[in-house]
Amino acid sequence: MGARRVLRDPFPILVGVITAAVLGILLIYPIGKALLSSFVPQGEALALKNLSLVNFQRFVTSPLYKSALVNSILVSLATTFFATILALPAAYAMARIKIPLKSLAMSLSVIPLIAPPFIGAYSWVLLLGRRGIVTVFLQENLGITLPSIFGPFGIILALSLSYFPFVFLIVQGALAAADPYIEESAAIAGARRWRILRTITFPLVAPSIASGALVVFIRALGNVGVPSVLGGDFYVLPTLILFQVEGFFNLNGAAAIAVVNVLLVLVFLLFMRRFSGKKRYVTLTGTTQRSKQNDSLGARVFGNVYVWGLLAFALVPQAMVVFSSFAERWAGTLLPTSYGLANYRLILGNVLEPIFNSVWLAGVATLLALAFGTVTAYVSLRRRFPGKWLLDLTIMLPFVLPGIVTGVAYLTTFNSGPIVLTGTSALLVFGYFVRRLAYAFRSVSASIGQVDPQLEEASIICGASWGGTMRKVTLPLIAPGMLAGAILVFSTLIGELSVTIMLFSGKTKTVSIAIFEYLTSHRIAPASAMGTVVIVITLLLVLLASRLTGKSMADMFK
Amino acid sequence: MQVGTLSVRGLTKVFETKDGPVTAVDDVNLEVASGEFFSLLGPSGCGKTTTLRMIAGLETSTSGTIAFGGRDLAPLPSASRNLGMVFQSYALFPHLTVLENAAYGLRVRRTPSVKVKERVVHLLELLGLGGLHGRYPSDLSGGQQQRVSIARALAYEPDMFLLDEPLANLDAKLRVQMREEIRRIQKELGVLALYVTHDQEEAMSVSDRIGVFRLGKLMQVGAPTEIYRNPTTLFVADFIGKINFFPAASAGKGDVTLGSGWSVRPGSRHPLSAAEAAGFGVTSDAVVAVRPEHLAIERHPAEDGIPGRVRRRLFLGSTTRYFVTCDASLKEVIVETPRPIEGVGEGDGVTLSFDPSDGIAYVGSESP
Repeated sequence: MGARRVLRDPFPILVGVITAAVLGILLIYPIGKALLSSFVPQGEALALKNLSLVNFQRFVTSPLYKSALVNSILVSLATTFFATILALPAAYAMARIKIPLKSLAMSLSVIPLIAPPFIGAYSWVLLLGRRGIVTVFLQENLGITLPSIFGPFGIILALSLSYFPFVFLIVQGALAAADPYIEESAAIAGARRWRILRTITFPLVAPSIASGALVVFIRALGNVGVPSVLGGDFYVLPTLILFQVEGFFNLNGAAAIAVVNVLLVLVFLLFMRRFSGKKRYVTLTGTTQRSKQNDSLGARVFGNVYVWGLLAFALVPQAMVVFSSFAERWAGTLLPTSYGLANYRLILGNVLEPIFNSVWLAGVATLLALAFGTVTAYVSLRRRFPGKWLLDLTIMLPFVLPGIVTGVAYLTTFNSGPIVLTGTSALLVFGYFVRRLAYAFRSVSASIGQVDPQLEEASIICGASWGGTMRKVTLPLIAPGMLAGAILVFSTLIGELSVTIMLFSGKTKTVSIAIFEYLTSHRIAPASAMGTVVIVITLLLVLLASRLTGKSMADMFK
Repeated sequence: MQVGTLSVRGLTKVFETKDGPVTAVDDVNLEVASGEFFSLLGPSGCGKTTTLRMIAGLETSTSGTIAFGGRDLAPLPSASRNLGMVFQSYALFPHLTVLENAAYGLRVRRTPSVKVKERVVHLLELLGLGGLHGRYPSDLSGGQQQRVSIARALAYEPDMFLLDEPLANLDAKLRVQMREEIRRIQKELGVLALYVTHDQEEAMSVSDRIGVFRLGKLMQVGAPTEIYRNPTTLFVADFIGKINFFPAASAGKGDVTLGSGWSVRPGSRHPLSAAEAAGFGVTSDAVVAVRPEHLAIERHPAEDGIPGRVRRRLFLGSTTRYFVTCDASLKEVIVETPRPIEGVGEGDGVTLSFDPSDGIAYVGSESP
């Protein structure tokens, strides 16, 4: 009799009203207004009589718009493809082949997710650019000429290596959790290894592959930092948005591009749904037997070489950032000619204010997201009320919205109208809040889901009030999960770029903006030093969260 | 109305589901005396747990009243009803020690620390948890967790002790041991206990009285012996223990004639509803129910009796069980005798008989 307790207290109604107000003002209203303003020509008032398709016509008339659209589709699809292809063998190897230091490998695999991709993107120029270390080596020794790192090659390379862990982690998890007896029955029935892989294993993890690929696609489509650093005159939709806003302050045009951006996400989402179907294979069983490890020599050689090779390759950008941050003189030579802390001394005067800004903006947004996420997650899991599906859907909406779209929506919405926030810190805090609310909601939901509702009932039966039950039973039990969620949200906001770049002002310049400005003006040395600071801070925070929850770093990103 | 008596009147619960309203509990009436051990027994989905949760205040009722000691419980939230409850999952607080789990209700009541300690230590001792005060629930065995949850429920001397399938997660041997222990401590403290279970043997062994539920309705309330010896419906007869059903025709003046032509006057007589007859595949206007141990088995044919043929004989040690195919029975007849009957083997034709006073007749309303 799975009926929940029906309560007489006004709590759900109060929470419902506050939730609806917050989500309405901070999420639905900006999205709606941005959508509306995309149909209004620049400079015209937001009124029904002014509606036109002029902003969208540019996708037909302007070569720049046309190419940006095609480039975006190309880059996102290629990134999704390569990230998936790179991830699958590694996921299989990690789940089924004996690999020494497996947990270290798992932890390393999340570093590309923690470090913002644009920070490491310039490393590829240092390595593969016209005068890059690898380019020069290949040309002088082997006579091989690489394609230019500026343009699609560099963007796809950098994004694929940054985002493959999304597919890797989810597929590895699905493979590790799959019932080993299923594959064993196929083997008993006479199927050989390759056939099992093709007819059993792959179909079982196909839904996981699809959801990992979806995340990669959304990220790649919304990433503004990497194409800004490596794009040159190769435009994609996010850099086109940036161009429209910074160059012409054409908010209506930017909104239209954002709408097209979201449409692409929706098309891909529908395509993936068709591909993975509605099937969900839950093969989790009561058995504690681990899936059998393949310990043939060939498999072990392949597995180790592939996994460690991929990790080494994927961590090159972060390693290069740290390396070049110590390079004092590096001009016209293959390797730096002197090393030292000069870059750190250089940024010392400039780094404190951006870091301070990043920390307090991200901190306030994190606290808000955590408080709001906890209350809504609790109500959503523990109470029954009409319209619950709408709450769940709305709160998860930012998950499928590329960051730059949230940025454009906020910029368009709060620049005029009843609520004006342009240039304020509040604008960034709310933008961060909305952007990360789904993360906080999800991680708190997971914690609450672990708490048996009967624990709360037991406390109430013992005579405790609802508040007392929360204080003495529920909150102590979910506190580690809440803290880990908070740290995760905070650390990913420290280097946040795609919302920040739309919403920052002179007063609220963050560390990500500072790095971005150094990079786009080709001042690599201070950018590396500041990037190193960000990478180290976020890595330490995630390690701390991992210690607090006893979860591995990899599990926290699943 | 007596002090310390639980009184449930017309209790009904209707759940609104996608497929329309479902009546989970249907007009239940109960009186449970102070200090009594009362079981709510029935198959899963029969409404017994929902009834308990309504009494606990964890579920609202659609209609009806629940009163304790003459006081209506409806306006009181769970926390104010002064109840102790043991959950199927035990629901121990994983972040608190054994001692703090057991002390939880007393701390909520702001009992002075010294008294808390005194009371909880005594109770844990009583439950054989003496040396485990500082342990956490995750370090305890299933049986120990069970005891802690009993200690937590009883520490603050609740007015009622509610148990929702408390033994479902234990192995068979521990179940028997724990149910004895639960009854012992309940009697020692003299607290009114309401015990939900689907296991009829468990209910029979611990309860003073049992209420048998079916499809939200309370079918029968009585002491274990009464429920066993004189079930008022085919459902209760069939649900509690083993029983054989013989279709019969009503012959007036309390007599019924079995399919074999044997006429008897059963010791008790109850009405048989058309719906229940249909549910058990009965087409005759009466049924006589006889427990396996009340049937006698003979080698030679007799005029007063039921002819059949032994299909299988099972020697079980303390008893011997015969499966007899019989034209005059709804299903294969089960006979249990203390020792094997000399000269009766598999494949033999036999005659079954019983003392008519051991038979229970269910007679349809249309018959005279």
